Amino acid sequence: MTDILRSEHAAEELAAEHGVGDPFAAAIRAARMAMIVTDAHQPDNPIIFANDAFLALTGYGRDEVIGRNCRFLQGPGTDPAAIATLRRAVADGEDLTIDILNYRKDGTTFWNALSLSPVHGKTGRIDYFFGSQVNVSDKKRAEFEMGDARDRLEAAVEARTADLTQALQQKTALLHEVDHRVKNNLQLISSLLLLQNRRVTDPAVKNSLRGMLERVSAIATVHRRLFQSDDVERFDVSAFVRDLVSDMMGTARREDIKVRLDLERVDIAASKAAPLALVISELFSNALRHAFPPEAMNGRAGEIFVGITRQDEEFRIEITDNGVQPENSVSSGGFGLTIVQLLCQQLKARSETTPADPGTRVVVRLPINGGHH
Amino acid sequence: MMSERPLDVLIVEDEVLLATELEFLAEEVGFHSVGLAMSSDEAVALASDLHPDLALVDVHLRDGPTGVEVARTIHDDCGGVALFMTANVKRLPEDFAGACGVIGKPYSEYGVKTALAYLTVCLREGLAPGPPPIGLELSPAYAERWGLSASMPRAG
Repeated sequence: MTDILRSEHAAEELAAEHGVGDPFAAAIRAARMAMIVTDAHQPDNPIIFANDAFLALTGYGRDEVIGRNCRFLQGPGTDPAAIATLRRAVADGEDLTIDILNYRKDGTTFWNALSLSPVHGKTGRIDYFFGSQVNVSDKKRAEFEMGDARDRLEAAVEARTADLTQALQQKTALLHEVDHRVKNNLQLISSLLLLQNRRVTDPAVKNSLRGMLERVSAIATVHRRLFQSDDVERFDVSAFVRDLVSDMMGTARREDIKVRLDLERVDIAASKAAPLALVISELFSNALRHAFPPEAMNGRAGEIFVGITRQDEEFRIEITDNGVQPENSVSSGGFGLTIVQLLCQQLKARSETTPADPGTRVVVRLPINGGHH
Repeated sequence: MMSERPLDVLIVEDEVLLATELEFLAEEVGFHSVGLAMSSDEAVALASDLHPDLALVDVHLRDGPTGVEVARTIHDDCGGVALFMTANVKRLPEDFAGACGVIGKPYSEYGVKTALAYLTVCLREGLAPGPPPIGLELSPAYAERWGLSASMPRAG
């Protein structure tokens, strides 16, 4: 007996068991889902039943499928791993659900959501395999398209991130370069002033050069501080004051003058750092150089107080000495006073000088959000 | 102390005005300047010939950012002590290339003099007289060598 004949015979047996009157058999024959039954007792597990939906899905006639193993649905594009999984499930007699690429009779492909289950007989042996097939090509295509779109998007994001990273690196390198040049040029200016100061002997010229050196040093201290902090946009005024006072007191070598600091942590916009630093430097220098003439000290201890607090919408910077009050100016020749007045105007700050009895109190009030108006 | 010979200093700096003024400042603190190098070759040649007690090294020299290698050579091959003087403090290697520390530019006259006077004590005594002054940051290795806690935070 040939395989085909055996399969037809098996099919007849199956049909005989489930005749026209069997409602389950009728349901399977008429179901919209493609279904097949294979004979597990025959070599190579051939198809012995296929419903109309299966024939419609695959494009084959019934006589073309009965007696054949259903691997004729596979083709060159079918994933070998999926085929291996399928073989293993049949050999082990296990349930399987798998998406596999199948070929119709006309060579076109469809994605088959295949479910395979063994059917056990009364003895417990596997008599049949029951398979159902659903065409899921549309779902698969959508999945692939989404995957492609995601891959393209990820590639685009990756490329853009690389561009931005490179741009940021270039910007950072440029910032470092500019910062480096600014600092070196400030150092150069200081060196020039110091060198000239070594040459001149006229006390008035020396005094002017000292004044200019102090101003340059104040700006230099600002730049040293600006890039030390993590935030290059903000400037810590109190840290600056500590550096400035240490430097000026060290240079002045006036053991008879003490400094008292009361500094609240106050950050201002970096763009205001240099002008504010110059104002503070000018006021402190003025107190240091003019409030305590050595001939007027008579063993008395001088004190300069620097206080920084935040009050409502203002920063309050106070510099008070307990020395003698100079006639009228903030600094010799009034240049220092001019600088303070002009820079306060620029900063939208108010400066107020009052007698401290003894000494002088200068209070500068800087609006906190002045830069945004 | 007074009768001791002055410490020799080598200045490695390609800005001649900065170098000249720095030489004045170092001598005012009591150092003896043995020379000025403007490139890495000059610096290494002078350092190995003259064995200065201290070399003040800028990172950017006439032949490029070669100051770091100069400091390493002075430390490794000449057995000398280098001190960086640079505007790029943040770009120095973690180990300071063997240098004892760094003074950030722009420095002030007072800052440099205080730092050099402090280093004079460190070099002569082998022990720091206290924490480093403002403007001077010691390398971890030298802070430990000179008796300071090695875990001092970098100046912020």
